[in-house]
Amino acid sequence: MGEWAFRHRQWAPYLLLAPGLIWLAIFYAFPAFQMFLASLSVGTIETGFTFTFQVSNYTDSLTRYSDQFIRSLAYGLAATIIAFLIAFPLAYAIAFRAGRYRNLMLFLVIAPFFTSFLLRTLSWKIILSDNGMIVGVLKSLGVVPEDFRLLATPAAVVAGITYNFLPFMTLPLYVALEKIDRRLVEAAEDLYAGPWRPGGTIVGTLVGAGLVGVLTWIFEWSVPAGVVFGAVVGGLIGTLFVSQSFLWVILPLSLPGVFAGSLLTFIPAVGDYVNAELLGTPTAQMIGNVIQSRFLKVNDIPTASALSFTLMAMILFAVFIYARALGTEDLTGGAV
Amino acid sequence: MTERDSSPLTGALSRRRLLQGSALAGIGAFIAACRPAGGGVASPTAAGSTAPTEAPSTGASAPAASTGQLGGKLNFANWTAYIDLTVDPGPDGQEGTADDAYVLPSPTLDQFTQATGIEVNYKEAVNDNEEFYGTDLQGPLSQNQPTAWDLIVMTDFMAARLIRQGWVETIDTSGMTNFPTNLEDAYLTRTFDPGAKMTAPWQSGMTGIGFDSAKTGELSSLDDFWDPKYKGKLDYLSEMRDAVGLSAIRLGFDPSTITDDQFDKSLAEIKKAIDSKLVRTIKGNDYLTDLASGDVIVSMAWSGDIIQLNKDKPTLAFAVAKEGGMLWTDNMMIPKGAPNKKQAEAFIDFYYDPGIAAQVEDFVNYVCPVKGAKEALLAINPDNANNPLMFPPADVLARIKVFKGLDEATEKKYLNAWNTVIGL
Repeated sequence: MGEWAFRHRQWAPYLLLAPGLIWLAIFYAFPAFQMFLASLSVGTIETGFTFTFQVSNYTDSLTRYSDQFIRSLAYGLAATIIAFLIAFPLAYAIAFRAGRYRNLMLFLVIAPFFTSFLLRTLSWKIILSDNGMIVGVLKSLGVVPEDFRLLATPAAVVAGITYNFLPFMTLPLYVALEKIDRRLVEAAEDLYAGPWRPGGTIVGTLVGAGLVGVLTWIFEWSVPAGVVFGAVVGGLIGTLFVSQSFLWVILPLSLPGVFAGSLLTFIPAVGDYVNAELLGTPTAQMIGNVIQSRFLKVNDIPTASALSFTLMAMILFAVFIYARALGTEDLTGGAV
Repeated sequence: MTERDSSPLTGALSRRRLLQGSALAGIGAFIAACRPAGGGVASPTAAGSTAPTEAPSTGASAPAASTGQLGGKLNFANWTAYIDLTVDPGPDGQEGTADDAYVLPSPTLDQFTQATGIEVNYKEAVNDNEEFYGTDLQGPLSQNQPTAWDLIVMTDFMAARLIRQGWVETIDTSGMTNFPTNLEDAYLTRTFDPGAKMTAPWQSGMTGIGFDSAKTGELSSLDDFWDPKYKGKLDYLSEMRDAVGLSAIRLGFDPSTITDDQFDKSLAEIKKAIDSKLVRTIKGNDYLTDLASGDVIVSMAWSGDIIQLNKDKPTLAFAVAKEGGMLWTDNMMIPKGAPNKKQAEAFIDFYYDPGIAAQVEDFVNYVCPVKGAKEALLAINPDNANNPLMFPPADVLARIKVFKGLDEATEKKYLNAWNTVIGL
C-alpha cells in the first residue's frame, strides 16, 4: 500500500486540497451560481421565478440604489481609516513595547469576541443614548446643544462598524510589525534618522486635515472645522510622536500587514447591515440593509441577487486598485 | 532566546508558552461561562407540548367541549407573548422587573388539553409576516405539500395574500358552538374573507400615538407626528399600511378605500418628514426600546405594547388620534393540507368561549374579537375590562380603519414606493 502511494505521489497535493475544494464547491460555488441565475430572472415569490436573462435587474437596481452603494463604500472606508488610526499605535505598542505583557494585551484585543456581535452593537445603543454616559455628560457640560444626538446618525454607524472590526485590523498589523528586523531600525537611527528627529510635521498635518475632513463630510458635520481640527491635531502628533525612523523604515516594512488588515476590515464593513439597522437612521441605510430587505421582507430575489453580485464586483474592483497602489510583489510575503 | 522566538504567533512552541496559553484560554472560557444565563427580554422557551398536569384555574368557566375527547396533536405557530403565559420572575426572583420572561405553561392551553385531550405543540415561530411566509409557508405550499403547522396566526394583509393564493383551508364550523357565533359583527364584513370562512380573528390591535406624557403632555392629533417640536425624537413604524394609513387619515382620506393618487400624496408627506430629519428612525417592534430609554418621546405605536411597557415606565401613554387610527387583526388560519385540521378547529372553537378569551385577554392586552369576553373579564380583572384600549368604546371604533385589501400588483407597487422612501 505504501509502495503504491509512493508511486502515485503526484496526486498528493490534489487529494489534500480535495476536502477544501469540495466544501467550496458545495457551499459556495453552487449557491453562488444559483444566485447568479436568480439575478437574471423575473417573477415574484407567489408566481415563481423564470430565467429570462434579464440584465435590467442589474442596471435598474444600480441606478435605484446608487445612494446606498456610495454610502456603504464611504462608511466602509471611514471605518477602515479610523480602525487603522486606532490599531496601528496599538499594534506598535504590543509589538515593540509590550515585553512581558504582550500575550495579555493580545488577549485583551480578542476579548470582545467572546460576546456576541449583536450584543456588542446593542450595548452601543445604551452607551450612545441621548441621556447616557457620553452624550448626557456632554450636554450637562454645555459642550453640545440640547438636541444633539449621537445615536441614529452616520457617526454612530461608522463607530459601530469600527468597533466591531478593530481586532481584524490589529492582529495583521501586529504580525507584520512583529516581523520587522530591529537591526534595520537601529541602523537607521545610527544614520541620523531619529528616534527623536521629528519626521512627521508636514505629513501629519496633511494626513490629519485630509482624513478628518473626509470623515466630517461623511458624518455631515462642519467640514472646515473638521479640516482645521485635523490639521492641528495631525501636525502635533506628527511633530511630537512620529520619528523619521518610523516613517522611513517601520511604516514601509509593515505594509503587508496594512494591506491584509485593511482588506479584512473594509470588505465585511461595506456589506455590514446590523450597525446601520440598530444605530442608523433612514437616510443612513447601507446596501446591506437594502439586500436584507429585498431578500427577506419583500422577497424580491432577482433584485437582491443582482445587488449582491454588484457589491461583490465593486469590492473586487476596489481591492484590485488598492493592491496595485501598494504594489503586490512585496505583499504576499508577510501578509497573514 | 531572541524576542522574536517568544512571540505567540511566530515563535516555536515551548512548554512554558503552552501552559501560559492554556491558562489564558481557561480564564477566557471561565469568564464567558460566568455571564448571567439568558436575557431578561421576553423570549420564552416554548418547548414542546404541554402535559395536562394542572387543574383548570377556578376563575375560568369550563367550556362545553363541543368535540368531546378528540385527542391527537396540534402544531400551533404564534407571535411572541400572544397567549396567556406564565411570568418567570427571572434571576432576581421578583415579578414586574426587567428580567422577567414569559414562558409556558399556559393556563388556557392546559385547560384545552384537559377538555379535548389534544396535545398542543405551541411555538412562538412568527416574528414578522413576510419572514414567516418566506421560511415556513412558501416552500411547502407552492409544491402542494403540507407545512409543519396546523394553525398559524397572520396579520390581515398576509391572510389576504394566502387566501388569494388558495393556500388556506376553509374552517368547518358544522360542529362548533362558539365560532362564528361569538365573533364580533365587525369582523364578518372584511373584504378578503367575508363571513369569516377561512380566518378566525385571534387579536386585534390599534395603531395610534405612543408618547411619554411626562415630556409631551397629552397628545391626541396626528399632526404631532409632523410637529417640528419633536424633531429627532420621533419614530415611525416600518409597517407600510400603518404609517401610510395614518398619513392618509391626517390628509382626510379613508385608508380602506385608498386610491393610487391618495397613496402617493400620503407617502409624500412621510417623505417630507424624513427628509427634514424630523424622523429619528423607522422600525418595527423595537420602537419600544427607544421609548423606554427616552431616546424617542413620540412614536407610532401599537395599543397592546404600551400597556406592557407601563410596568417599567408608567408615564408612557397611548392614544388613538382624534382624526382616526388604524385597526389590524391577527387571524388564526389553517394552512392547506394541514394534517390535524380537526384539532385546529377544536382549538378555534375552544378559544371563542368568552371565559377562555377573557383569560387570554387579561394577559395579552390587545383588542378581543370575542363577544362576551368583556363581561367575563369583569369577573377576573375589572381594571382591564374597563380599559378603553382593550375594549374600545363606540366612538373610537367609529374612527379606526382597516387598510384596503390589495391585489398582488398594487401591493408590489406600494411596497416598492414605500421602501424607496424609507431608504431601503
